Amino acid sequence: MDKHNIASRILAAVLLLTLSGAAWAETAQEIVAKTDEVRNPKQSFHNDVTLVSYVSGKERDQDTLAVYSKVDPSNGQFRNLVQYVAPARDAGKRVLLGEGALWFYDPASKTSVRISPQQQLVGQAAIGDVLTVNLAVDYTASITGTETIEDAAHTKRDCWHLELKAADALATYSRVEYWVEQGSYMPVKGKFYSDSGRLLKIAYYRDFSEVLGRMRPTQVIIIDAVDTSLATIATSSDYRYQDIPDLWFQRDYLPRLDAQ
Amino acid sequence: MSGRGIYLGLLLLVWGQAVQADQDSDLDLIPSATPAPVTAAPAAAASPDRRVYLENATTQVAATQDPAVPLPAPPGYTWQERLLLDIRQDYPIGQRSRLFLSDRFNLRDEDDLPFPSHEDIVTDFREAYISWRPSDQLYVDAGRINLKSGIALGYNPTDFFKTRSVTEPLSQDPSAQREDRLGTVMLRGQRIWGGGSLTFAYAPELHRPSAIYSNSNLPSFNPMFDRTNADDRWLIKGSVDFGGNSSPEFLLYREAGTTHFGTNLSMGLGQSAVAYLEWSGAERPDLITTAVDYGRETGTLPAGAAPPIPTATHDTFKSELALGLSYTTEADITFNVEYLLNQAGFSRTDWDDWFAAGVRAGPQSPLLDELWYLRRYAQDQQQQNTRQAYFTRADWVDAFDVKLELTAFALVDAYDHSGIAQLSADYYVSDTWTLGAQAVKYFGSRRSDFGSLGTSYSLLFSVAHYF
Repeated sequence: MDKHNIASRILAAVLLLTLSGAAWAETAQEIVAKTDEVRNPKQSFHNDVTLVSYVSGKERDQDTLAVYSKVDPSNGQFRNLVQYVAPARDAGKRVLLGEGALWFYDPASKTSVRISPQQQLVGQAAIGDVLTVNLAVDYTASITGTETIEDAAHTKRDCWHLELKAADALATYSRVEYWVEQGSYMPVKGKFYSDSGRLLKIAYYRDFSEVLGRMRPTQVIIIDAVDTSLATIATSSDYRYQDIPDLWFQRDYLPRLDAQ
Repeated sequence: MSGRGIYLGLLLLVWGQAVQADQDSDLDLIPSATPAPVTAAPAAAASPDRRVYLENATTQVAATQDPAVPLPAPPGYTWQERLLLDIRQDYPIGQRSRLFLSDRFNLRDEDDLPFPSHEDIVTDFREAYISWRPSDQLYVDAGRINLKSGIALGYNPTDFFKTRSVTEPLSQDPSAQREDRLGTVMLRGQRIWGGGSLTFAYAPELHRPSAIYSNSNLPSFNPMFDRTNADDRWLIKGSVDFGGNSSPEFLLYREAGTTHFGTNLSMGLGQSAVAYLEWSGAERPDLITTAVDYGRETGTLPAGAAPPIPTATHDTFKSELALGLSYTTEADITFNVEYLLNQAGFSRTDWDDWFAAGVRAGPQSPLLDELWYLRRYAQDQQQQNTRQAYFTRADWVDAFDVKLELTAFALVDAYDHSGIAQLSADYYVSDTWTLGAQAVKYFGSRRSDFGSLGTSYSLLFSVAHYF
């Protein structure tokens, strides 16, 4: 290797480092916040989520939820009201993320029970997987590096590889590895870990469509990392802006949701 | 390139391949099938305003052999076949009102009842009320309403309207028993705003207190207001959103000249756990005194009947408490563990006295009726019979990766460690069909809280169809 060649490589390395440095001048927290804006509209909105559970690639179960989301101006996090729509045996059950807590309401028992974010909802989806959340509020982020990874459609994407640590008791996971496409801020992949450091789930974001004014992922594939024969595909549809009163996010409003 | 450079390059190459291999293996786990397009059909079929199902349940019961304190009457059926239609539905009335209905029609055949007879039909008229929303934050409800409070699972000290309301439940699980109960005729006003809520409820006296029902004398078509509206009662409860983690709720309840105070508190502990506390307290007599008073008032016990075992007759401030923790494991099993206290319930001395009196009484003694009346009263009032108990429950959704939900609970007396344990399995055959099985075991010595009851174990098989 001649001196000229070595000098060129050093120059290329310096340029690369400089460019990377420029990119990383955008903090990890800012990247996650911009990705949150890709995933979630800023105004209050409604969407339906259909969860299809798979065992060894075969469809096993299907559930439908209606989700109502609105940002709490005091902390920048979304408050959520989720209603089970189907199947019939679960219809009318509700989950509330509000008042700094998660509540589950069953119309059969007419009682609200406080639950934890990791409590299972449907298939491989924990309650926290279905709720609309701004990750930048619940987690403290740092940049691990940049990587080129394949997305769910096997397309190569240049990504920031981010490390997220839970900063709030309502964060669903203790730690998250998060891959975000550089430039577009599209979420590509996530790996979710328990308090003990065990990998619980792998998520891929796909089906980017024009939704409420910009391109957003409308489907998340949630793979059970403990039993990899299990997966759930969460598909969002029927997005619409909706004015949601603050009282919807009070625990005592849960039995009242139908009384509109 | 130096040796160090080659080494670094190889390391990067290997690392890169490792990352790529890891990447590929993750992608291979994505199901190849694409979800069916989301259509309006399933959502329209299952309305959140309506739940209707038909269930058939077959129950086998084994009685306790040679109980320490003889039962004054046979313990009940040894087999039961029950067909029930359960309906819960609400209807809009104009823009600002809704009508809520909840009812259960039971058709039963069991070996301690003649068939066919009117006793084979029992209607549980649970709720019928109109809800009116005069403004966006204000609600006024009138009619028969199931007003429930409390955040614990094993015992609810703040669920003041639970007394006498539970009807022939299919499950012994306290959280399931909340589903099978009669509402109370009341007028309820509620204001909910962005920072909290305030509820006021008034339930008038509509009927004289009645004797405790048994399985064999339930009326077929009767709203049984004597069970729910035998006294003037009122409740005020409020919750305030402080923006913190504790979600407090405070309650003030008055019945028969006694004021009860209560609170519900809960706190999230990380991503998997929740701690909670439910408490109520009032200046009142103990369970033995109130049971004997009620027995006299309703004519079940002689007018001059004295308590069958020694007890304090004066009122003292007594607490009821449920202190619990829930935890969800990485395998998606949710466990609840609770310590339960009812200071009005039987102490260790009360239990010793109860068994000593029962053994002394002999099989034909009228004292047996009085002794067992104390136990029946506690059950009818949904009041914990023993002073201290432990409750644990486990719920495993999608057990063994099939559409199976396994639920198990145990309620254990803290003094003699007797208890009741139940294991339930619900298999969701389809969106509309569910198969169920349930095994219940009462355990403990002959001279213990649960070991002395008339039932040793029971088995139940059910099939339900949702419409």
